[in-house]
Order: sequence, then C-alpha cells, then structure tokens
Amino acid sequence: MLQAPSPNHELLAGIWFAIEGLFLIFYVVLDGFDLGIGVLSLFMRKDVRPQVMMSSISTVWDANETWLVVLGGTLFGAFPLVYALLLRALYIPVIAMLFGFIFRGVSFEYWELARRKSVWMWAFGLGSAVVAVSQGYILGGLLGGMNVVHGHFRGGLFAWFTGFATLVALGVVVGYVLLGTTYLIMKTENKVQAVLFPAAKVAAIALFIVAALITLLTPLRYEWAARRWLTVPGLFEFGLLPLVASLSFWRLFKALGQRRPYAPFAWTLGIFLSSFLGLGITIYPYIVPDTYTVTAAATGSETLIFMLAVVGLFIPIMIAYNAYLYVTFRGKTGAGGYQGP
Amino acid sequence: MHQSLWVEMLARIQFAFIAGFHILWPPVTIGLSVALFVLEALWLKTGKVFYYRQVRFWSRLFLLNFAVGVVSGIPMEFAFGDNWAPLSRFGGGFLGNLLGFEAVLAFMLEAAFLGLMVFGWGVVGRRMHLLATGMVMFGSILSAFWIMAANSWMQTPAGVRLLHHHLIITSYFKAIFNPDLPYGFFHMVIACLIMGATVLGGISAWYVRNRRFTDFFLPSLKYAAVALAILGPLQIFVGDSAGLHLADTQPAKLAAMEGRWRTNPPGRVASWVALCWPDPARQDNAWSLKIPRIGGLIITHHYRGGIKGLQAFPRRDQPPVLIPFYAFRAMVVCGFFLAATALWTLVVWYRSGLTLAQAPLSRHLLAAWYGMPLAAYLAIECGWFTREVGRQPWVIYGLLRTSQAVSHLPSIALVWSLTGFFVFYATIGSAALVFARRIILSGPDLESPIPDHTDAPILVARRR
Repeated sequence: MLQAPSPNHELLAGIWFAIEGLFLIFYVVLDGFDLGIGVLSLFMRKDVRPQVMMSSISTVWDANETWLVVLGGTLFGAFPLVYALLLRALYIPVIAMLFGFIFRGVSFEYWELARRKSVWMWAFGLGSAVVAVSQGYILGGLLGGMNVVHGHFRGGLFAWFTGFATLVALGVVVGYVLLGTTYLIMKTENKVQAVLFPAAKVAAIALFIVAALITLLTPLRYEWAARRWLTVPGLFEFGLLPLVASLSFWRLFKALGQRRPYAPFAWTLGIFLSSFLGLGITIYPYIVPDTYTVTAAATGSETLIFMLAVVGLFIPIMIAYNAYLYVTFRGKTGAGGYQGP
Repeated sequence: MHQSLWVEMLARIQFAFIAGFHILWPPVTIGLSVALFVLEALWLKTGKVFYYRQVRFWSRLFLLNFAVGVVSGIPMEFAFGDNWAPLSRFGGGFLGNLLGFEAVLAFMLEAAFLGLMVFGWGVVGRRMHLLATGMVMFGSILSAFWIMAANSWMQTPAGVRLLHHHLIITSYFKAIFNPDLPYGFFHMVIACLIMGATVLGGISAWYVRNRRFTDFFLPSLKYAAVALAILGPLQIFVGDSAGLHLADTQPAKLAAMEGRWRTNPPGRVASWVALCWPDPARQDNAWSLKIPRIGGLIITHHYRGGIKGLQAFPRRDQPPVLIPFYAFRAMVVCGFFLAATALWTLVVWYRSGLTLAQAPLSRHLLAAWYGMPLAAYLAIECGWFTREVGRQPWVIYGLLRTSQAVSHLPSIALVWSLTGFFVFYATIGSAALVFARRIILSGPDLESPIPDHTDAPILVARRR
C-alpha cells in the first residue's frame, strides 16, 4: 500500500478479489440452503418439522458454516482494511448474525437431548431467520457505501438501516428460502415433498419481484453502479447476466410445474450464480463501493503471494472434503430419518 | 470515566468474556478427540466391543461440547474486525493470514470429517471412520497451532518491522515460529490433553464411586490416571520453562506475576512474595507475605539470580499486577493438585496390585477426582488471564497499545452486545450442563448392535 500499485499488485489483488468471491458463493449457496430450511421450518406443520428439516442438513451444516469462517479469515488477511471497516460499520447486523448463529448451531445437538424439543426447534428457525436477515442487511449496507474519513468510519450506528438495504435483506431471505425448499425437494419424497412444490413457487415469485426491483434500483440509486452499467462494454456483460437469470427463473417455474425433483435446485443455483457474478462485476474495481478499490484495500503483494501459495493449494482439497461428505450422505432422508444400524 | 476509556474497558470486558467462555470448550474437544482416536484404534486392533462402547459413550459428551465450541468460536474471529478494527488494519496482514490458514487448513478439515465421524457409523467402513476421527483430532490440534501462533506473535512479535506506522513482514518463518510459540503451543496442547483426561477420569470416578457400570468405567479412570501422572509433571516443567523465558521476552509481565516492584540485581539473595496486595500509586505492595531467600531460586533457578522489578518500567508500560499475580498462583495450585491426585491414584493402585476388580480406591480419592475437571478448567482460565492481562498495556507487545487498537463505537452498542453475549452464553452454557448431566445419568449404551457398513443402506443418518 505504501508503494505505488504495481501491475503485479493489481493482478494479485484481483485474484484475491476473485477468491473471496468464490468463497462467498460457496458460503451463500451451501449455508444458504441450511438457513433457508431453518426459515421455512417456521412455517411448516409441527409434525414434519423436526425429522425432515434437521436431519436433511445435520450432516453438513457445520462444514457449510465453515465457508464463512474461511471467507472471514482470508478477507482479514488479504483485505484487512475492508474487514475492519465492514465489521465496525455494520456492528449491529454483524452482532445479530453472531447471536443467530449461536442458537442455530447448538439447536442441532440440543434438540435431540432436550425433553421439550419445540424450544430448540424455535431456536433453529428463529436463529436461521436472524442470520439470514442480518446477512441481507450486511450486503445492503455494503452496497450502500460507507462514510469514511481518513480511514476511519464516521457513519452512525444505524447507517446501514435504509429502505434499499431492507429490500436487499428481503431478497436474501427469500432467496435462501428458495434454495432451502428446492434442496429439500431433492432430499424428500411423497407427502413431505408434495407440500414443498407450492412453497417453492411462492418463494420463486417473491424472489423474482425483489430481484427485479434491486436490479432496477441499483443504477438509479447509486452513481458508481450506473457508471459501470451504462457504458458500452458494461452494457454487454450486464445485459447478459439478467438474461441468464431470467432464463433460470423461467426454467425453474417450468420444473416446479412438472414436479421434477432435481431441476428446481439446479435452476435456483443458476439464479444465485448469475446474481452474485453480477454483483461482483458491478462492484469491481471497488471492493467497498466508492470507498476502497480492490487494489487499494489489498495488503502488501508479498503477503498476497504467501497466502495464495497456501490457500490456493487448499481450495481444491477443501472442495474434495466437502464433495466426499455430500457423496457419502447422498439420497433421500427417510420418513423417520435413518434409524441407525 | 472518560468516554473513550469507558469504550476501551467495555470492549476489553467483552473480548475477555467471549474468549473466556470459548476457551472452556476447545480444550475438551482436543483432549477427548485424542482419547476417542486411541480408543477407536484399539477397537479396530483388538476387536474388543468394550472399546467400541467406550468410543460411543464419550462421543456423546464430545459432540455436545463440540457444538458449543463451534458456535462460540465464530464471534472470536469477528471480534477482531468489529471491536478491534484498528488492530485489524494494523496487524491484519499477518494475524489475518494466520486466521485464514486456521480456517482453510484446519477448520474445514475438522468440520467436514466431523459429519462423517458423527453420522458415518454403519455408513462408511470402520477404517474410514477411524480416519475421520483421526482427521477431527488432527484438525483440532492444527487449529490450536495457528491460534497459538497468532497469540504468541502478539506476545513476542518477531519477523516484522515498522515503516511509517505500517507493519512490514520481513520473515514469515520468524513471525510464525516466534520466540514464544514453542512455550505457548506446548503449554496449551498439554493443557488440552490434561483437560480431556480429567473429564474422562472425573466422570468415570463418579460412576465408580456410585457403583454404576464399575467394570466399564474403572478402566477409563485408570487411563486418565496414567495419562495425568505423565502429563501433570510434564506440564509443570513446560510451564516453569515458559516462566524462565519470560524474563527475556516480557520481564514486566514476570514482575507483575511475582508482585515485584523493586529490581533485585544479580548476585543478591531475594525473598519470594507468596501473597500481596499491590498499590500501583505508591509503586509498591500495600502489604505482602514474603518467604525469605528463595525468590531467586523460584523465579530464576539461581540462588542469587537477578529479577527485574516493575519500577524499572515507565508507569505507562506497566501491566496491572493484581490479576496476573493471583491468576498465576491459582493456576499453579490447580496444576499441582492435578499432578498430585493422579500420582496418588497410581500409588493406591500399585499397592493393591493394579487389579481393577477389587481396587480399594478410597471414597476420598474418588471424590478428589470430581474436582479434577474443575481444577483443569480453572487452570486454563487463570493461565489465559495471566498471559493476556500480563501483556497489557500492549495488545501487540511493544508495537501497538490496547488503547490504540480499539474501535470507537458508541458505548451503548457495546453495552447491548455485551449483555446479549452474557445472556445467550449463560443460556447455552447452562443448557449444555443440563444435557451433559442427562447423558451421564443415562449411562453407556451396552446393548445396541455393532454397526457393519456392508449391508447398511446409504441414507441420511440419524445418530443414536
């Protein structure tokens, strides 16, 4: 940061921006369906809730949540300025998210041991909902930009609480619910599955409306986004992604109508990938819009190389652990859960 | 109190609280994961069902403990950004690396294989399951390594230099393997192993004393006693070496731990302060209980060894004395209690010919074992309070002061977050105790069939 940014540094910072984006996508998709199932559990009949909801994700939630720890740790290392700024500026939603995680996490273990299971079912559902809403406000707060003077945050405690951020939070919650519902469709059969198709449809319609609104409002509200979108090369890439997203929505509705088990989740993934890719290229070259560019916020080149050597090597290994976990526990969640050998 | 001092104090209390709560759980995770791995390996090697039953029983407590450890660990990572943003900006280029490595190298390993370890019974083969248990153990120890590397570097920051108030890393090797790392890491890992052994032994002693499942729990009590008889003295030795090393790296902390204000030059015999009440305003102890002539011997291992006193440091660089002084003494007392109880148990056993069936363990000895986990928890807490409070007023020793490292949040935000952590941790902590009690009261499962993966359907599993 002290030396003038060399082309090398710019490239390294760009690579790290892409890696953080990859970790964010892994986290959002994988823990997104866990959290979505949690939110959905609040609206489901009591007798189907415990067995299906929790046993479908109890094998993987810990590994899924770990992607956030990975994202946080590497962001701290590669972009310490961003880490310090975001967590400090978004203190309230970050702390709320941590509180939500506490209850979501222990409920898996506690509900099996508890006599009054409903307490921990609520802890699971409400904890997931609090996490999802907080993450929405964190994303909304990031897009809203930060009031930074001489490297210090000068905004208020509630600067993140805007109408636009509320819309983004709504989008995140609805998106997670759609992911969770379509994931559950893959993992269940018969009666339970039958309830989920209409639920997925409602979530998909809601997400379509919210996503369209966010897409329209972002360039209207934020000058940095308009600059990126409405220039000629931008127009091409930004025209393409909404097209992919719209196609995914169209195929999603078709698959839900035909009651297909796997296609709805796949098309939901398509929506998420195009949205987050769109988010990434809209923000770039900034990492915090209008405040820090990727190059300026990155730590020194040598640190970036050192981290890249270690973390880069382990990205495929981490994916392999996770893949093995999912392959081992593939297939449907039995009606009464798997009773053990 | 001035507004910014008030914010700093609240942020420190919040960090002390979440860290103090968190450190209750991972040591049990690490210690028990080693025990589980050994027991499961013995099952595979000998084919004895006893070992399998042991693994399944202790796994239930392990998982309960693991869950709280995971959820209380995440706020720690985020605390560096939200409450200590200037620390993150200043030290993130190195500290963030290590937390990133912990997540990427250790945490993901642990989390992914935990799913297999918990739900994999009958789904994956026995060898694969043992591998999963081994990976959880390895991942948790590796995680401790990175965390201790980060914390040790904050105690003895090596491999870096300052350029216009920015940290430049000159050698990653020197920074990671900084002077304090061997002491910090081994002292902590041994503490974790001790912690696991006291949980194993303390709970086994309860069953034996109440004559429930005696055949099942006498062996585990014996394992714990043997482990502690080795680890206890080893830990005292490592801790003592760490203390000697402090004289070179953080003499002010050592002076605070020993309640010494005046410097004792080399060649002079010094007394040892057993108890005192420090009075920083007068730069002396208000009162103290001293034992003559043995100060040099205890602190430096030389009869006429020199000891630096706090007066040798400017007031603004002096740590508080009260907490390091008493926390250190409480830790040492706990450590000797642990080692002595374990050795006493071995003596009793040796006298009765080491036969398990009629081991005439006195009821007092078994009752003493109830105190073992408590002593281990207390020793770990006190050790950390000594280490962290003794490093004050620095957060990165000699480079960054705690007062410069704190986020200047409105104090109302801190009051609410601290209250939230307090209430929620009290809730999940007491629930964990209730559930642990329930697991212990229900005893081991000695009936259910042994899993055989070959004909089990692959389904999403429910354990138990």
